[in-house]
Amino acid sequence: MSNVVIDINDVSFNYGAVPVLENISLKIHEDEFIGIIGPNASGKSTLLKLILGLLEPDKGTISKFNHDGKGLRNHIGYVPQHSSFSRDFPVTVGEVVMMGHIATSSRFFRYSKNEIELAKQVMQKLEIDEIEKRQVGELSGGQLQRVLIARALVCQPEILILDEPTANVDMRIEEDIFSLLKNYSEHMTIIVVSHDIAFISGYVDRVACLNRTLVCHNTESISGKMIEELYDAPVKMIHHHH
Amino acid sequence: MNEFITALTEYTFLQNAVFACLLASIGCGVIGSYVVVKQISFLTGGIAHSVLAGMGMAYFYNASPIMGAIIAALVSSIMIGWINLRWKEHEDVLIAAFWSAGMAIGILFLSRTPGYNVDLMSYLFGNILLITRSDLLLMFSLDMVVLAFVFVYYKHFLVSVFDEEFARLRGINTEFFYILLLCLISITIVILIQLVGLIMVIALLTLPAAIANQYVTSLHKMFLLSAVICAVISVAGVAISFGPDLPTGSVIVLTACCAYFTSVIFKQIAGVK
Repeated sequence: MSNVVIDINDVSFNYGAVPVLENISLKIHEDEFIGIIGPNASGKSTLLKLILGLLEPDKGTISKFNHDGKGLRNHIGYVPQHSSFSRDFPVTVGEVVMMGHIATSSRFFRYSKNEIELAKQVMQKLEIDEIEKRQVGELSGGQLQRVLIARALVCQPEILILDEPTANVDMRIEEDIFSLLKNYSEHMTIIVVSHDIAFISGYVDRVACLNRTLVCHNTESISGKMIEELYDAPVKMIHHHH
Repeated sequence: MNEFITALTEYTFLQNAVFACLLASIGCGVIGSYVVVKQISFLTGGIAHSVLAGMGMAYFYNASPIMGAIIAALVSSIMIGWINLRWKEHEDVLIAAFWSAGMAIGILFLSRTPGYNVDLMSYLFGNILLITRSDLLLMFSLDMVVLAFVFVYYKHFLVSVFDEEFARLRGINTEFFYILLLCLISITIVILIQLVGLIMVIALLTLPAAIANQYVTSLHKMFLLSAVICAVISVAGVAISFGPDLPTGSVIVLTACCAYFTSVIFKQIAGVK
C-alpha cells in the first residue's frame, strides 16, 4: 500500500448540540481517487472542511502527510460547492484562475511570466482558454466548475478536494469533468464529495459512505441494500462494469 | 453653463472645488468599487456617521476637526471590523449601534462646545465651496495613501473580496485585509466628507461604482470607470448648483442618483453587458 497522505482518526464534530460527525476514521492514500457519498446533511461538507483545516474537530485528530498542522494547506487544492461570489462580480476567467498563485505570488499588481504560463497550460488542459477574457458571472455551471478546478490546479496541489463538483451541471458535462479528474488522479490524490453514488462509482477507486458515521467500501462491493441503508429509502441501482 | 465656465476662470474657490471633485474621484472610484463588490455599503454608512464623534471631540478640545474625523473613522472601522469578525450574526445591529452612538457622542460634545460652530453643517452636508489649498493637499495625500495600499495589495484584496474561503485556504490573512480595507474606506470617507458631508458620503461610495459595475469585466477597470463617473457627476453637481446657488453636496448626490437610475434603466432596455 502506498503512503497515507490524510489520516482521519476517530473524529467527531458537533454544530452546537447537534452531532454532525461521529467517530470518523479514514486513511486516504497517495494518488487515490476516493469518493465520499451520503445524503443531504450527512456531514460531507463538514468532513471536507475539517480535512481542509477550516474547522477544528471536537474530538480526534486529522493528520496530513503524517504531520499534524495547518502548514500543509498549500498542498491542498479545494474546489468549493457553492461559489459564494455574486454573479456581477467584475472578474474574468483568467483572473480567477490566476488566484491559484496567490499564496506564492509577490505583492503588487502583476503576476510573473512563469505564473501566467502555468495558468495558460492549465486553462488549455481544461479547455477554458478561449473564455479567458469572459466575466465569470456569464459562465454556465459547467464552465464555472472548470474554472474553479483550474484555479485549484494552479495551486499545484498534491491533494485535490472537490465538493459536489457536478451539482449544477448536466449529465454530459458531469462525465467530462469526471474523466478529466480520472486523468489527474494518476499522479494526484483526489477526494470528491457527491450525493450520486451510482455515477461516481464508475470513476473512483474507493467510496466512503457517510451518514454521520462512516462506512468504507471498494466500489465493487456497493450493493443496493447498502445504499438503502445509507439513504433510508430504496434507490435505483445502476451497475457499472469495471 | 457658460456662466459657470466664466466664473471658473475667475474664482479660485471654484477652481479649488473642481480640483476637490477630481481628487475625491480617485478615492471614490477605487474604494467605492470595493464597497460595491463586497456589498458593505451599510457598513460604510455606519463608519461615515460615527466620524461625527471624532469631529465633536475635536471641536470640544479645539483641535482640527478633520484630524478628529480621520482618527474617529480609523478607530470605528477597526472596532466594527474586529467585532464583526467575532460576532458575525448581528452585523446589521452592530452597524446601527456604531452609526447612532457615533452621532450621539458627536452631538454631546458639540452641545458642550462654547460658540456652537457653523462649520458643523458643512461637515454634515458638505461645503465644497469653502475648500482651501491645504484641504486639497490633505485630500491628495490621503488619495496617495489609499492608492499605495491598493497598488501593493491589489491581488490579495481581489482574492479576499472575491472568495474569502479560498483566500483563507491559501494562507492569506483575510481578517487583516478585511480590516485594512475598512481603514482605507474610512480614509476615503474623510476625503469625501469635504465634498458632500458625512451624511451623504455613502452616495458617492456606492453609486458611481455601481454604475461602472454594469459595464466592466475586471475590478481594475471598475476603478477607472467609476473614478471617471464620479468626477463627471461631482463636477456636474458643482456646475448645476452654482447658478441657482443650491447646496452643492445635495446636488452632487442627486446627480449621482439620477445617473445611477438612468444607467439601470438603460441596462434593462439594452439587456446586455
